[in-house]
Order: sequence, then C-alpha cells, then structure tokens
Amino acid sequence: MENKEGMDHLVALKVMRLTKPALISPKIVTCDFKDLPGNILNNYLKDDATSVVGMETLAAGQFLLLPQSFGNIYLGETFSCYVCVHNETNQPVQSVSIKADLQTSSQRIPLSTQQHQSSVMLDVDETLGDVIHHEVKDLGTHILVCEVTYMSNYNTLASFRKFFKFEVMKPLDVKTKFYNAESDEVFLEAQVQNITSGSIILEQVSLESSQQFIVKSLNETSDGKSVFGDVTLLQTQESCQYLYCLSPKPNIASDIKLIAAAKNIGKLDIVWRSNLGEKGRLQTSQLQRMTPEYGDIRVTYENLPSKVPVEKPFNIKCKIVNASERTLDLILKLRSHQDSSLIWCGISNRKLGPLEPGGKTYIDLTAVPVNTGLHSITGISLMDLFIKRTYDYDDLGSVYIF
Amino acid sequence: MDKPNLSQYFGSSEIPPASQFFDEIGTSPSEMVQSVYLGDSEGAQTAITPQVRASFGQSEEGPTDILPTVSGSTSIPVTSLPDPSTFFDTIGPDPPIGVLKTNTGSAAMITDAMDGLSIKNQPVDKEADRRRDAWIPDEEAKKTLIKAQSSPKGSFFPEREVLTMPGIVLEEELADALQEVAVKYLGVSSAGSRGVVRAEHVSRDEAGLRELLRTGYLRAAVNLTATLITAAGQGPGRMHRPTKHTPRTLQLWLTRFAVMLRIKLVDSLMKEAEPFGDFMKPDMFYQFYPDIHENRTGSLVPFSLRLLIAELPSHVGKPEEAMDRLYIILDVIDNMLTNLNKNKTEDGVGIITEEDKNESTRLWTGRRVRVLHSIVNCAIALKDYRLATNILTKLQQQSTTAQQQRALSSALCRLQLLAGNVEAAYLHLQHARLTRHHLCPTPDVREYVDLGLIDIAHGKYQDAYNNFAKAGDQEPTNIMVANNIAVCLLYMGRLKEAISVLQKAIQSDPERGLNENLLVNLCTLYELESANTGDKKLHLLRMLCKHKSDTVPNVVEALKLS
Repeated sequence: MENKEGMDHLVALKVMRLTKPALISPKIVTCDFKDLPGNILNNYLKDDATSVVGMETLAAGQFLLLPQSFGNIYLGETFSCYVCVHNETNQPVQSVSIKADLQTSSQRIPLSTQQHQSSVMLDVDETLGDVIHHEVKDLGTHILVCEVTYMSNYNTLASFRKFFKFEVMKPLDVKTKFYNAESDEVFLEAQVQNITSGSIILEQVSLESSQQFIVKSLNETSDGKSVFGDVTLLQTQESCQYLYCLSPKPNIASDIKLIAAAKNIGKLDIVWRSNLGEKGRLQTSQLQRMTPEYGDIRVTYENLPSKVPVEKPFNIKCKIVNASERTLDLILKLRSHQDSSLIWCGISNRKLGPLEPGGKTYIDLTAVPVNTGLHSITGISLMDLFIKRTYDYDDLGSVYIF
Repeated sequence: MDKPNLSQYFGSSEIPPASQFFDEIGTSPSEMVQSVYLGDSEGAQTAITPQVRASFGQSEEGPTDILPTVSGSTSIPVTSLPDPSTFFDTIGPDPPIGVLKTNTGSAAMITDAMDGLSIKNQPVDKEADRRRDAWIPDEEAKKTLIKAQSSPKGSFFPEREVLTMPGIVLEEELADALQEVAVKYLGVSSAGSRGVVRAEHVSRDEAGLRELLRTGYLRAAVNLTATLITAAGQGPGRMHRPTKHTPRTLQLWLTRFAVMLRIKLVDSLMKEAEPFGDFMKPDMFYQFYPDIHENRTGSLVPFSLRLLIAELPSHVGKPEEAMDRLYIILDVIDNMLTNLNKNKTEDGVGIITEEDKNESTRLWTGRRVRVLHSIVNCAIALKDYRLATNILTKLQQQSTTAQQQRALSSALCRLQLLAGNVEAAYLHLQHARLTRHHLCPTPDVREYVDLGLIDIAHGKYQDAYNNFAKAGDQEPTNIMVANNIAVCLLYMGRLKEAISVLQKAIQSDPERGLNENLLVNLCTLYELESANTGDKKLHLLRMLCKHKSDTVPNVVEALKLS
C-alpha cells in the first residue's frame, strides 16, 4: 500500500495491510554425508533460524514472515491494517491525530482507531499508530482514506490525506437446488464453490432454517462424522455439495394452505479459513423454494413398504387431502390393468363421504404383487361427483417385489 | 593389489590428468589458508558468541584442514571420493544418536563432517559402495549396459544418444554479492575487501572448495567448481560433446548445483542440469565402464544430486513437474527395497547377506523418507494439503521413535495451519503433546511456538505473544522465537517494541540473527515506521559485512534497498 507523498510534512503516514503472516522455511539443500560438500550445506540448513530441528527437510516451519504484498481480499473477510504516523523532524510535533474512513461504492464507513481518539504530541522519532479492523461487507472498489492532522510550525493545524484503493472480490459461489418430497419435506442441495485464488477450509456450513421449517443436516454419518472426511478442504475452483432436509413444523404440516405458502427455507451460513487461519464468513440471503402445485386433491402414501415378496398381499395407507376451496364428494376406483403387476383387493367405486376444504381422510388399501421387479403403484382413481371429473394417480410411488 | 584402489580410477581416467592441473597452480596452501583465518577471526571477535567461535576453532585447527591438497596426484581424487565407510545422513528424519540442540550443535556437526571428509586408511568397503551407489537402470539403459559388459575389451563404441554431455553455461566469474552491495551503498572503504582475498587464497581443489563452503564464500565456491569442472573437460562450450564421467566430476557438479541453488542462481542451474536429464543415460552407471570399474554396479550419480535435480522445477514455480520426477525416484527406491526384502542386492541381480541387507534397507528407507519429504514440500507449494497430510500421516504411522512421532505431529499441526484447518491443527498439537510427555514432562520451545501459531490462526495475538514469551524464557537466544514475538507485537499495534525485539535478536547472535527472512521482517517494520529508513538499513548492511560472508542470496531484496 504505497502512495507517493509529494509535500513536505512534519509527520509521515504509512499504512500496511495485516493479512496473516506466513510460515517460512529455508531453502532446503542437503547432501549425503559422504558427498564432496560433506555436511557443510546440511549444517547451513540446521543453523538456519527458519529451520525446525529434527525436521529440517520438511517445509513446514515455525518462523513467521510478515506479509510482503497487499494480497487479495474477499467479501466476508476482515480487512486489517496498521496505520502509522511518524515524526520526521528533530523537534516535537503537537496535536497529531489520525482519522480513517473506508469509502465503498455505496457508503463511507468511519473506522475507529481504538486508542487514539484525541490528538497527541509526537516526540522526536516517535510514532502514533494503530491497528484497524473492518469486516468487509461490500463487493468492488474500496478506498481507505487516512487523514492526518497536526500542528504546523506556524501554529496552525495542517493536515494531509492519503488514499489506498483495493478491490473486494467474491470468495464463494453458492448454487442451490430444491426437491419437494411427497412427505412435505424439502431437500436442499447447496453447492459451495471456492472461487478464491487459493485453497480454503470450509470450517462451518450450516443452514439456519426459517420459522416454518426444522432443518436436519445430512452431511454427517450417524456417529457425527462428516461425510467429507476429516478435512473440508477446497482447492481453487473446487466445490463441495451439502444436503439438508427441512421438515415443516407440525402446525404448518397439518395445514395444506400453510405448506403451500411456505416459501422461505432459510439462510446458509458459511465460515471458511485460508492461509494460517485467515477467517471469512458469509450468510446467503433468504433461500426460497418453488412451492408445489397440489391442484384440488392431494394424494400421498404413508407406510408404503419398499419391498415385498411376490404373491404376498401388502397394505398401503393412502392419505387424501382436499386442497380445493369447496367440499368434495369423492368415489375411490381401483383398477387392475392387464399388464399391471399389482392386483387390488377390496372394493372399487367406494364412496369416501364429504371432505371439507383442507380436510383429510385415510384409506387402507391391499394389493397382491404378481410379478417381481420394481413396479409403480397404478390404478387408483378418484372421481369428483360434483363436477364428474376423474383424477388418476398412477405414479405416486413404487415398490420392489422379490 | 586384489582390491581396486579408488585413487587409481582417477589416475587412469582423468582427461587431462588432474594431477597435472593441480601441480601447476599449487603453492603451499596451508600457509595461505591460515593467513586468511586470521583475518576472519579478527572480524568475528567482537560479536560472535562463544559457542560459535568454539565450533570455528575446531574446524579450522583440526588436522583435516591441512589436508595435502596439492601435494600429490593421488591425494586429490581421494578426498573427493565419497568416503567408503557407512553412509550416515545427519540431516534426514533419522538423525544420528546424540544430535545437537538448537544453538550448540555446530561444533559437533563440523567434527562429524570432518571425519567423513578426511582420508581414512580404511579398506575399501565394496558393500558400502554398492549400497550407496545402487540404482536400477531403465530398460533402454540396460540394453546398452549389457552391450558394454559383453563387448570384448576396446570394442564397445556407444552411440552419441546414450551419452551424457554436460558443460558449463554460467561462464562469468561471480563476484562476492555482499561485497558488491556494500561497495555500492557504503563505499569502497567501509566495504573492505574480504571475499576476494579469501577466494584467491584457498587451494584450487576440493579441499579449497570445502573451505570456501565452510566459510560461506558461496559465489567464490561456484567459481571454483567451474575451474575444476573445466579442468575435467566439462567446462564452457563442452555441452553436447562426449566427455568422460567419473564419480569425481559428478561430485563437482553436485557441489556446484547445490551452491547455485542456495544462492538462487536457478536459471543457470536449470540450463546446466538439462544435459543430465534424469541421470538415466547408461554412461551414468558403473556397468558402462567395465574396463575401469570392474564388477562395480550402480550409478556414478550421488543420490543427493539425483534428488536435487528432481526437485529443481519446484524452485522455478513448477512443483507439479518436480513431483512427477520425485515419484519416479520413489518408484525406483521401492523396487530396490522390494529386491532387498527378497535377500537380493538393490538391483535384484545378486544375493546378499542378512547384515548387508539390513544396512541397505536402513539406508534406502532413510532416503525414501527424504524423497517423501520433498514430495510433501512440493505438495505444500501446490497448496495440495490433502496429499501432504496423507504422506505425513503415513510417515508418522511408520515412525519408530517418540522423537519422530512428535516431530511429525508438530509438522502436521503446522501443515493444517497453512491450510487454515485450525481444529485439526489443534488435534495434532495435542497428539504431539502426548508424545512429548514421554520425552520430557514440561512443554518445550517447539510446543509453545506451535501453541502460539494456533493462537495466531485464531487471531488472538496477545495469547500468541504469551506463548512465544514462554518459549523465549526457555531459550532466550532463540532467533525464531524472538522473530515470532516481534511479529505478534506488530499485530498488537506495538511497532516500536517489535523493532526493538528484532534488533536485540540480531545483536545477541549476529551469526544466526542476520537471517535473510528476519532481515525482511525488520526492514518491513522499518518501512512502516518511517519514511527515512536508509540509515537503519545501511547499519544492517554493515552488520552483514561484519558477521556474514557471501551466503545471503539477495542482499538488496532482503534489506529492501533501492
């Protein structure tokens, strides 16, 4: 963060961005003991202050090196810098103060320097300095404006400003997909891609659900271990896919109108770290799903077995919900197609009685599987007696017959 | 003599004979060497710590330094030959018993080194030679080697394509870099004229070369390797021309390349290394020379040279290329270990004794670990922390001593910090701590420093400072600890204190304190502090001139001059 300062001022201002320091290792050049240089080069390595005793040949040192360039800065990271004013003269300078602001495309943020609110006297060769922190919440161009004020030789207040410009970039790309399940659960697939220039560790990815839902993370095995293994390390451009299951809260689940209206899923909260623990944190905006269209009648299965032996009758519980605005009078029809692998047992053309708007009823069905394999459950129809319309439900579920 | 005398190889194969060359320039070298020492100790007297001086004393006055460097034709090559006694790699993951502590080590190490370099009146140990030089030629090379072995004497004329034809590219004489910078910024008078004198007053042979290395006149050492390699017929303009390879020429190349790498002359190094390829040409094997090296097998190429060249691309920003080369080396080593496991020699041709097998397995397992370390380093450079973690975890599982276990846990901790995985870093630290309990009951410097580094990852600079300070209580002269304390102080907003900590560290131990990276840190702080940094930097330059020889690769960059 260098900036040319043309005028002669009594004090000089310097600013250094404090990214995390680096761990440095010496240049590792070794020889076998019997080689011409013998152990001389090995001894150089051993004596180097940056090498680790007993692990000299491994470039994982303990020696901290200060940042040597401004580096990149990403949204959600904390911008830290050291602002330092130095008395360049050979006499004390009175009333020195620093003011720092951060100008983004939309706003100007005053940055507090914690220690030096009021102006101080700077003795010869003394410095006035402070570390400034600011969590970056905007993308694009930022300008750090530092203003130094001091008492000039003519007993007037003099001041100068310096500007330091930097670009805040986007660290992550988050893509989401929703699946609305028959069970009213919503599955969220969130793909988090590292678009920084280095590798990052996803320290925490969590979904804060909205008021309507209860979230369950599907990214851990039953014993609590991450499905991604020990390390959620993403090289640049790599992505990691997270899966969440959201169940509507009971008061919402019981009301088909509320479910149909529950669009807000929640927010993804992501914490990542990069070089030597440099931390960043982002929260997405409210994620919204496309709510399913239920039409007039919603039919779902409950307790549907996943597999049944061939020729052995099995039961299905079928839930029928009136999603329309009027009372329905329904007739249940069961048809066994010629090529169907299921044969229905029980009464077809059964009247189900009136169903209020939002009301539900359960019916128990029995079927006999006649062919092995994976088969859809077909042949259920409901007829609305009032408008004489028949609804077919041929693809609501499947069962494996063995 | 039924055993081949090593010195004979050179006597009969050198073109031009080495003896001739050396006789021309040789004049009583020991006197000159001594006079140079006086100058050096004078400069060092004021500030070098007692420990360091002790170590220098040992190396300078030890009998090995008055080697008969120029006196006869036989002594020259013998010194350059790898000592035939057992291989003993002091730097690897498996340090010898009784290895030194941080600061006090140099004396013992230099003595060790001298032992290895001195001429020993030991009988030639054929097994040790075979073990150290072992390498399996690839199928192409094997064909030529069989031809060489089976042809009647004098009737084998190899194709050009199978020959390794190196030559020196970096022709100009390198000047003492520190000296040059000093003259530019301090003027001729203050700069003195240290390096030049030194370089011209050592003997022009391997002993002189080691002398330059030991005293840190690295650019002069590169110049001397050029002289010696030129005398061996592989000098400037010799690239792509047939030449004679000996273990000696390859040792000279190793020395040249190693030093060039240290002082970061990587571009020239890449060019000069290119003709060697992967050292798989048949003329890099002893079997290529049945007349000279009867019954000797393996490669003329020192293992460290093979490794250095394999790692080379990682120094020019191509770690993935280095990684490929290192995996090829690893594969050959694995094949050799498999052969050994079947009670065969490394190349799978002969049968060996149990004792021989154990020695070989030990040597090659050690080298294998060294290669794995290099692969980890490439992975770190590529930020492929997954691979680095996998390899280190495997090495940890295989390590046999508590020291190794602990050192690897500590390294894994820092590896995780590099990746940003702070939680994992802490787990490794705890593991390291458990192992440390078996070694010593209280936390040591390494543990405190690792703890401090984790604090830094959490952004808790005060806590980090406290941990580093505890480390500093244990080793007040530890440069790394002082440096880390200074870095913490800066992040805590205490610039002036940070500067003073670093300055004190340099004062207390200039030899180690004038470290390139510490200088970078200090000059970074100077630049933040004030617009007028010139005097302070020049003071550091004067300190460098006083305490260091020509070892810093880039003085101007380190001091942020210009």
